[in-house]
Amino acid sequence: MEELIEILKLQIIDALNLEGMTPDQIDNDAPLFGEGMGLDSIDALELIVILDKHYGIKLKSPAEGKTVFQSINCIADYIQKNRTK
Amino acid sequence: MGGTVSISGMGILSAIGNNRQEVLNALLRKESGIGPMKYLASVHTDIPVGEIKLSTAQMKQALGIAADLPVSRTSLMGALAVREALEQAGIQDVTGKRVALISGTTVGVMDVTEQYFERMKTEPDLQYLPHSNECGRSTEEIAQYAGLSDARCCTICTACSSALNAIMLGAEMLQNDEVDLVIAGGSEPLSRYHLNGFNTLMILDRERCRPFDDTRAGLNLGEGAAFVVLEKNAPRALAYVSGYANRCDAFHQTATSKEGEGAYLAMTEALRQAGIGPEAIDYINAHGTGTPDNDASESAAFLRVFGNALPAMSSTKSYTGHTTSAAGSVEVVICILAMQNGFVPASLGWSHPIPGGVIPSQGCTGVNLENVMCNSFGFGGNDSSLILSKHAPVARERMLADESRVALVSRCVISNDEQLLLLKEYLSPMETRRMDRMMKACLLSAFTVLKEAGITRPDAIIAATSRGMFETSTLFLEDIVANQEEHLKPTLFMQSTHNTIASAIAIRTGCHGYNITYSQGEESAFWAIRDAKMLLRKGEARTVLVCVFDEDRVDGTVFQYKAESTLYTLKDE
Repeated sequence: MEELIEILKLQIIDALNLEGMTPDQIDNDAPLFGEGMGLDSIDALELIVILDKHYGIKLKSPAEGKTVFQSINCIADYIQKNRTK
Repeated sequence: MGGTVSISGMGILSAIGNNRQEVLNALLRKESGIGPMKYLASVHTDIPVGEIKLSTAQMKQALGIAADLPVSRTSLMGALAVREALEQAGIQDVTGKRVALISGTTVGVMDVTEQYFERMKTEPDLQYLPHSNECGRSTEEIAQYAGLSDARCCTICTACSSALNAIMLGAEMLQNDEVDLVIAGGSEPLSRYHLNGFNTLMILDRERCRPFDDTRAGLNLGEGAAFVVLEKNAPRALAYVSGYANRCDAFHQTATSKEGEGAYLAMTEALRQAGIGPEAIDYINAHGTGTPDNDASESAAFLRVFGNALPAMSSTKSYTGHTTSAAGSVEVVICILAMQNGFVPASLGWSHPIPGGVIPSQGCTGVNLENVMCNSFGFGGNDSSLILSKHAPVARERMLADESRVALVSRCVISNDEQLLLLKEYLSPMETRRMDRMMKACLLSAFTVLKEAGITRPDAIIAATSRGMFETSTLFLEDIVANQEEHLKPTLFMQSTHNTIASAIAIRTGCHGYNITYSQGEESAFWAIRDAKMLLRKGEARTVLVCVFDEDRVDGTVFQYKAESTLYTLKDE
């Protein structure tokens, strides 16, 4: 799980252009959207691409992402349960 | 100056017909033209589209163009629609007249560029290379193939409101006595480029679109072209252009505000200009794309403008698909067909009301449509609304302030990475992380001129560019090729449309006023400055920000950029 979280964070930093940020600066439990890291709807789309491209998980709509993308732990948990690659 | 602007001819090609009569028949029979893709070569065959029922070869043949010449469907469809419009207006010879051809497109010649994209790298002589990404090129070709070689060409790129803004510009130029005759509208083909772009934004329905339905799940892309002939006081008018407005939602690059601010402002200003109240509107052709976002915010705007007395309203995108940049003129032609034949087009696919939402018309015949409103809203919040009337509105005199009173307040050019470091004075790293260099340069130059002038928000924003977001568009094309249309980056697409700069400046400055983007090769800046001066001279704005930007490719791979912002104002007499 720890390894998955580390890789996932690097993928997020790259896809979301979080220049200068390191994995340890992202709190595993902190909310990613709104008050937390301040990600927005375009970031949600980028996260959907990450799930599809690297883990073979296809979300049908951005709305589905809302529950999955609450925090890094949430995403990692979802990946572990649903990954096809 | 002033006077009434009439429409004396119209031509259309869309998924439901290759001319006016075919389109009318399909509307009356309630037949949609949306179905599986036939001509577009994409891996996403599960995505339904509204294609026109003509191959590129058939259109070339109809126009007498050599089969092996690479020509965009934008130019081909556009030329056929312009020909039909001129024919209906009874115009055969334009010698001695000042003619303008104004077209809205954002795809431009991308449908051809993407076909030759890989070959261009090794065969620099390919005809389309120097014109790739130049939207204005398609308008010049429309003029050439429609027998209007001497017309002044102008191209407007405000995404899905482009064609409506083209008709508005035509009406303005006639009222200013700048031209005698205008052919205005828009043309947009399907392309792998924007099909994939919209797909990354997850707003394409895999079924037929259902505008204003509670189960709506997105839009269907369509292709099409429609043009109208605009004249002052034409003896045989089909309808009159009685009011219009261009406003900006200034909210988000790809999302709409909940309360539909831009849409509300555009509709209320169009009504004010037409000199009528909301109760005088007999039919609204909504933007109604079928995306959860658009239909919710357009509904909210309708409630603000019309209260509980919404006139008959429908979205005809359920017939044609969303023809994006051409939607405004495609739907203006549909509105006039409805006015002439006394019917309200049905909103197909609707069956589940949105709780507390608006209900689209299921169609009716035998009605008199005196005043009709047509809405077109684009990415970046480029929202426009236009009102058509059956009878001539009262002609109004137009007074323009003397041109000598237009003054340049400040100017700023940004063209290198060292300068870009200054952007941190205005924006946080979190805000700039997705921006490409062109975007950063434009924003920095805009912020700098506003700061120098001591104002935070201009009244209007006008952008001009020949190639638009050249580097980012190229990266998205590379992404499409490298990943075979899968796992593409939404960040690239949303920043690649020509109007992204003007809307980004509007979002950052909170400017809900007039917002437009011109793209006509080296004449782009001319059109932008002309427009800025007119807004000031008409008294519609006290300050206008003009941003001229372009990128050049050197040595095949390196991109150079230049953004020049200028702030104009009107001096006291």
